[in-house]
Amino acid sequence: MSWVHLWCVVAPLLASVLAQTTPKDEHFHEELVVRPLSGDHVNTYFQFTTRWHYGQKENLYHTQLTPRVIAELLQQFDVRELHIGLTQGLWRYETWGYPIVEATSGAEMWAWFKGHNLTDEAVDKQWAQLANVFSGVLCASLNFVDNTNSISPRHLLRPQFMPANQEKFVRYASLPREIVCTENLTPWKKLLPCGSASGFASLLNSGYVHNTKYHSLGLKVRTLCQDHDEDNCILELTQTANLVYDLRLLEQSGNDFSLRRLFGMGLNGYCELATTSKIYVQRNELGARYQLVPLPPAEVQTTRGGYTVLYGVYDMQEQFQDQGERLFNIAWLAPKGEERRNRLKPAPPPIYVHRYLLGQGQERGRIVTEVTNSHYAPLPIVVQELIPWYVHAYLHTLNIRRRSMARHEYGRETLPFKLLHYAPGKQRELPTHLEIGFVLPGQSSALITIDVDYLVLKWLEYPPDANHGHYINAALVFSSLPMGTNYSALPLEGHLFAHSFNATRPSYVLGLHTEALIVSLPTPDFSMPYNVICLACTVVALAFGPIHSVATKVIVVVRPTSAGPRNFLKRLKEKLFSRGGQESTPMEGKREGVVLDDPCPDEKADGDQEEEREGKEEAAEALIANPFESLSSAACPTVWDL
Amino acid sequence: MNLKLVSIVYIFCICGISCTASNEDTSVLPEGFVDATQRSTHTNNWAVLVDASRFWFNYRHVANVLSIYRSVKRLGIPDSQIILMIADDMACNARNPRPGQVYNNANQHINVYGDDVEVDYRGYEVTVENFVRLLTGRTQNGTARSKKLLSDAGSNVLIYLTGHGGDGFLKFQDSEEITSQELADGIQQMWEKKRYNELFFMVDTCQAASLYEKFSSPNVLAVASSLVGQDSLSHHVDPSIGVYMIDRYTYYALEFLEKVQPFSTRTIGDFLQVCPKRVCISTVGVRKDLYRRDPHKVPITDFFGAIRPTRVSTDRINVTLANESDFIADPDEISANKRPFKIIMEPQFPSEFFK
Repeated sequence: MSWVHLWCVVAPLLASVLAQTTPKDEHFHEELVVRPLSGDHVNTYFQFTTRWHYGQKENLYHTQLTPRVIAELLQQFDVRELHIGLTQGLWRYETWGYPIVEATSGAEMWAWFKGHNLTDEAVDKQWAQLANVFSGVLCASLNFVDNTNSISPRHLLRPQFMPANQEKFVRYASLPREIVCTENLTPWKKLLPCGSASGFASLLNSGYVHNTKYHSLGLKVRTLCQDHDEDNCILELTQTANLVYDLRLLEQSGNDFSLRRLFGMGLNGYCELATTSKIYVQRNELGARYQLVPLPPAEVQTTRGGYTVLYGVYDMQEQFQDQGERLFNIAWLAPKGEERRNRLKPAPPPIYVHRYLLGQGQERGRIVTEVTNSHYAPLPIVVQELIPWYVHAYLHTLNIRRRSMARHEYGRETLPFKLLHYAPGKQRELPTHLEIGFVLPGQSSALITIDVDYLVLKWLEYPPDANHGHYINAALVFSSLPMGTNYSALPLEGHLFAHSFNATRPSYVLGLHTEALIVSLPTPDFSMPYNVICLACTVVALAFGPIHSVATKVIVVVRPTSAGPRNFLKRLKEKLFSRGGQESTPMEGKREGVVLDDPCPDEKADGDQEEEREGKEEAAEALIANPFESLSSAACPTVWDL
Repeated sequence: MNLKLVSIVYIFCICGISCTASNEDTSVLPEGFVDATQRSTHTNNWAVLVDASRFWFNYRHVANVLSIYRSVKRLGIPDSQIILMIADDMACNARNPRPGQVYNNANQHINVYGDDVEVDYRGYEVTVENFVRLLTGRTQNGTARSKKLLSDAGSNVLIYLTGHGGDGFLKFQDSEEITSQELADGIQQMWEKKRYNELFFMVDTCQAASLYEKFSSPNVLAVASSLVGQDSLSHHVDPSIGVYMIDRYTYYALEFLEKVQPFSTRTIGDFLQVCPKRVCISTVGVRKDLYRRDPHKVPITDFFGAIRPTRVSTDRINVTLANESDFIADPDEISANKRPFKIIMEPQFPSEFFK
């Protein structure tokens, strides 16, 4: 019997095992949300959720839909919750509203640890190891995360798992420099049960993901355990891909778009392992003007915090029952002849943030974070700053000024702190960690400023592209909204996008990221040593010649033995042909005394001397006494060529 | 006395017989030995591919390394056994008008970046220290598995380097250099630690031959794009992005490798003749003295692929399956353990400060 036959025997057995355990306590869901945004942008949000009610920790050794690396993570480390975001681009809150998942440009990572007898040192160690693991799993440079760029948030980033009496630890770090490209997407897709072969992940092709204005890959792991009982636990793995397409950049005419236009191909089906695979298409607001082909078989109207959204729902498992081999496509057709500028600009969301740098030069500056509340009522704001160690922040310069939205300039009015947490940084060891809470009155902006000094780094601390500048991490701004305007994040206890439907709560916690900043630290001219060497060598070489010459030649007192050529014609010729005049002039009676040797006697003069040898009156030749004759001849080779 | 003589004769006879017997063996041995040494002896393949230069104008070096990556991946070395080091990001660089794509040719023949690339070391991680640590297996504690060269005494390792070099060194990211001595020491350490069976060292840089001059470890075959004193030249420029696309030597190497299929009969000897001076302008340097096999008898897939002889069994094989109850828990017990529960969370916002 060959291996193939054996496999035929084993496969049904395994399948029966899978069938026995899979549907009961492990589920995989695929969701795709398409929301037209203002300014000809389209937001597509993929969410892949694996939820495994694994019970006891021992069951983590048998993984099925959950990737093995995630299960091993929970065995190896005391990690309870882990968030990783890899993002390229900037989410524009003012025009696009709020994203479904928040992320900052570059890489961002935070984790909660909880365990028996866990200490701060042990958590630091686990945190660094965890970062190393994911640097391998996601092909990102997360291994640069260590204690010199991590903080323990005090009031923000609350645990999203069940409360417990054990002590909990949190670590947060972000790497704004990190680039996100295909090498991150590939391993990220490999974590999915169906990989990129079928299902919604087949739409994520690198060429069509990276031509977007904004793309963000997310990974969220959390464990939920019943009460303080570690024997009844759920593992949730949520993988998200949030993309924003600029329709003007897609090669097409008009404002129509389709799944095929956005992703390069239609949908080839659904992941067979998925419990649900659904596409949600926003049909109100900016989605209202589009005509959908085919029309969605179902619609969902959701009202959340007084904010109503209408979604068209395509259930892929139903669609593909009689679809056959054909690819599934949805087209959004815009009304013909519509003028672009006539369209309404949406009202800005209640809160939006910006950040910039003030000051000039490479010595000191001022970090400015601006938070705007366009809502009519005051809102609580908490800002978390992580300032890297190469930038010194001065707490006494921290203040919050306020202006009403009607005015353009900030006055002297300041806002009081409701909460201030400050952990000073330490050169090369710790970043500065700052958390500020204040109440921002309605229809006004707050300007949070802090003065900073830039540190001069050591020679080897500069990166290879030092002149690119150094990054200051984005600030995290949290608020608690009383209404659900534009708010589309998942509710805390839910794990699917569908759980955000009609999920009205007393308040909605909103997290935003500012831009990251780039500062040019005092950067030396790295080619300076080379220049110095070149210059120094030139100077030495120029100085060496004459000094060597002076130092090595013997000074001799000469007494003229003859008064030069007697013939007048010969004397005239001598005068005419001598260039230097002095050196080759035959010794007159008045020039008796010291004569210095010329290391490079003039060619012509020498030639003349040759001639003069014939006349047996070798005055100049006799005067020269050069102990380094061979040296000088090498230096003046033409002399002997004549 | 007689008896003694006889015995001596007898002993001599035995010696003679045994000597002739051994003579017969040795007459067979050399050929067998030669055959054995010419046979492929590896059990697995690894590839370490390094682009040591940063910045957009060095696009060609990234295209170089990705060309080799594409070939070894196509010929069967899995991503887990390819260590790819790329010092800068070209595919998603803001200057690249074709995001997520790197081409070897201005006519965009081959997207060498592909759709499923996995870069193990990137950006600032590409340093001389990391490279030497990788080769010698002395990676720091906690390094991810995908960032380690886990080769053994049966591994055929391909090392490919590209970047800006000079006589006896290769620059890493314009900020540090690896010298030929350091490379030779690293490879010697690999040999001593039994981290390779055979090693194919390939380098595309100016004065590339200077990098393999110091090698002294056995079973190393080295090829360089240019001799000492020669520059390695780039192939052509893409005016639409304003940079050179690829270097000459790697361009022709990729052209050669594109024609190789997993069961190809092409040999390393053929590969060493890639890019003659007429097209390369530089002279390709080869060092064979450390390598005991004849390159013309070594299939190219010994280094660029992962082809191993497989034995197909047609006999019946008895497999004892474990008891089902050993690995499947009682469903009742499972459900008893996995009761649904209500999820309660801490408040996510520090509202207490704002009362």
